[in-house]
Amino acid sequence: MHDSHEFKIPFGPQHPALKEPEGFSIALKGEKIMGVEVRLGYNHRGIEKACESKTYIQAMYLVERVCGICSHSHSTCFIQAVEEIAGLVVPKRALYLRTLVGELERIHSHLLWLGVAGHEIGFDTLLMYSWRDREVVMDILAKITGNRVNYGMNTIGGVRRDIFPLDAQAVLKDVDILEERTKYYIELALKETTIIKRLSGVGVVSHEDAIKLGAVGPTARASGIARDTRKDDPYAAYGELKFDVITSDKNDVYGRTIVRVLELMESYKIIRQVIQNLPEGPITVKAPRKIPAGEAISRYEAPRGEDVHYVKSNGTEKPERVKMRAPTLANVQAVKHMLKDRYLADMPIVIAAIDPCFSCTDRLIWVEDVNSKKYDVMNWGTLHAYSVDWHRQHGINFSKLNQELAKKMERA
Amino acid sequence: MVKEENMKQEIIRQLNVPEDKIRIVRERRISLEADYAVFGKILDFAVKQLRFDYLCAITGLDDGDRLSFIYELAQGDGIMLSLKTSVPKSHPVLKTVTPYFLCADVYERELVDLFGAQVEGLPEGNRYPLTDDWPKDQFPLRKDWTPDLLK
Amino acid sequence: MGVISRVVTWARIKSPWVLHFNTGACNACDIEIVAALTPRYDIERFGAQLKGTPRHADVLLCSGPVTRQIEDRLVRIYRQMPEPKFVIAVGTCACSGGVFQDCYNVKSGIDAVIPVSAYVPGCPASPKALINAIVKLLKSLEESEAKKNAKAV
Repeated sequence: MHDSHEFKIPFGPQHPALKEPEGFSIALKGEKIMGVEVRLGYNHRGIEKACESKTYIQAMYLVERVCGICSHSHSTCFIQAVEEIAGLVVPKRALYLRTLVGELERIHSHLLWLGVAGHEIGFDTLLMYSWRDREVVMDILAKITGNRVNYGMNTIGGVRRDIFPLDAQAVLKDVDILEERTKYYIELALKETTIIKRLSGVGVVSHEDAIKLGAVGPTARASGIARDTRKDDPYAAYGELKFDVITSDKNDVYGRTIVRVLELMESYKIIRQVIQNLPEGPITVKAPRKIPAGEAISRYEAPRGEDVHYVKSNGTEKPERVKMRAPTLANVQAVKHMLKDRYLADMPIVIAAIDPCFSCTDRLIWVEDVNSKKYDVMNWGTLHAYSVDWHRQHGINFSKLNQELAKKMERA
Repeated sequence: MVKEENMKQEIIRQLNVPEDKIRIVRERRISLEADYAVFGKILDFAVKQLRFDYLCAITGLDDGDRLSFIYELAQGDGIMLSLKTSVPKSHPVLKTVTPYFLCADVYERELVDLFGAQVEGLPEGNRYPLTDDWPKDQFPLRKDWTPDLLK
Repeated sequence: MGVISRVVTWARIKSPWVLHFNTGACNACDIEIVAALTPRYDIERFGAQLKGTPRHADVLLCSGPVTRQIEDRLVRIYRQMPEPKFVIAVGTCACSGGVFQDCYNVKSGIDAVIPVSAYVPGCPASPKALINAIVKLLKSLEESEAKKNAKAV
């Protein structure tokens, strides 16, 4: 799409009249970012307030849609708080099924991320390849929950659907397939020099800084912080399952890649344990419509990191207060830190690497050239093209890998 | 729950917190209520002595004539400490905790926008999450606010 | 004029250029839109191509309920698109506001702000439903073109 001519960011002569209410503002010096401001809120819908006028079940369906990629995470995190307030003992089988859907969600999310990351660095075939694998997961989820996304699996006191033994066996077979394919991604990540070169030293956050910045999820784990809610504060069935917390000492986007692909392998391990040890029994326990007055705080390790929900009840059938802290919000400070004094061309992958829960491709980027004091507004597409082009000029070219992977896809 | 019990006792001992103001809710959950006058001291102790190095969230609540805030702290062991405090709604002034937790920046801005809290010491930056044209004295998460007030 | 419009429409039927815009969605529909591009659904075999700018787009795929923040920008993007243009509301939220109808920062569905040519319900709208919508849109374009030609004769 772009020739090898030099891609310059056009700067307008004047301060454009309109500044978008959300997006990124960058102070640019030459090719380097001096500072970044992030303006969020474009998808602030007012969900917390709306929950106060809905029943707990209605609120749960709303909460599920905070983010369409980790919907089960939000739904489960919320319902756990409600169940704690009500003093409900959720049946083990339900906890295992919640865990199953949660890990399937993690897998689909990490594969999604792999594709997006591939696209951002110019390795577009990886998007096609990994999302093709992701469809295996989408099929499993649709089979056992009834939907590809927004599974509606939870209810207060358990889950709404049980799993048929035949479907459970089918899941095991699919996990075997996915594990084989994931080995290819691990090989790519560990051996392909183009990928290693492109992702290493990019988006660096030291271990100490990651702690100070309050990073969560794979972003934190890639800076050596062994923080994983599934281990630190076990919920659902995780207290009874064997798995490792994956960390890396690379502190960069490459580390975040390694963490995610290895976490996929852990998810396969967990799913096998869940299905092979699925307890017999009911999938739900009776729950009152009016939840007694109380409060609870619930944590959940979503694919992006720790999700935190606080619920306060007042004895009625509607919550008094629902507070949700999604993982991406916790990583925002870290992103500003990662971009400072770095190349503009690294911005797309750095932002993609925290796996943001806001749709990045629509955010506008407001760029001020520190030297000329001129401004421009870039859309993500322009930034992406600039980034791929810039790296191509610096010797990183994915055309060979794209061709190889395309051939591999045809053969498969 | 040995760890939790030890932690509770240490807080009572070192900070003179009355026993009825600190509660072990369950495994890995300790809850502490404090007047805002001593909140800073308690936070400092929690971070520096008890090693709560991570702020999960700050929850705002409308409690009638007061605004309450719960600072949810966590540490490596998975223990969470909920620090609850409150200020009068007529004078809802808080001091920023960003010197301890950089991530508090956006959490505190949320309290400003949605509850009308005034956070002293917040570095310059964009508001979150409301638009610039949002009416000045309307705070959506206060109980007396309803969406029809927007029109 | 007539010849050019027929050529343009023919080109559009054969290969609509599509712009995707998220107006405050939870991302579920957005992911399904991108999934429609991937090999299993492969929207490109219908000639549809994802474009980055409204100035080259024939079809606007809108996902999400319209939030206060995004309303102005949505209108601006719609205005930047050349005529004739079509808007597809992808997902229940885009159709009506969905579960977010009572939320204070949400206006409602897309059609409260810009005209909508096709509604694709679903939470999220599946890639299959989306492809169905685009194909139907193309067919209706073909049929209205055929009617015009019939009239001209």
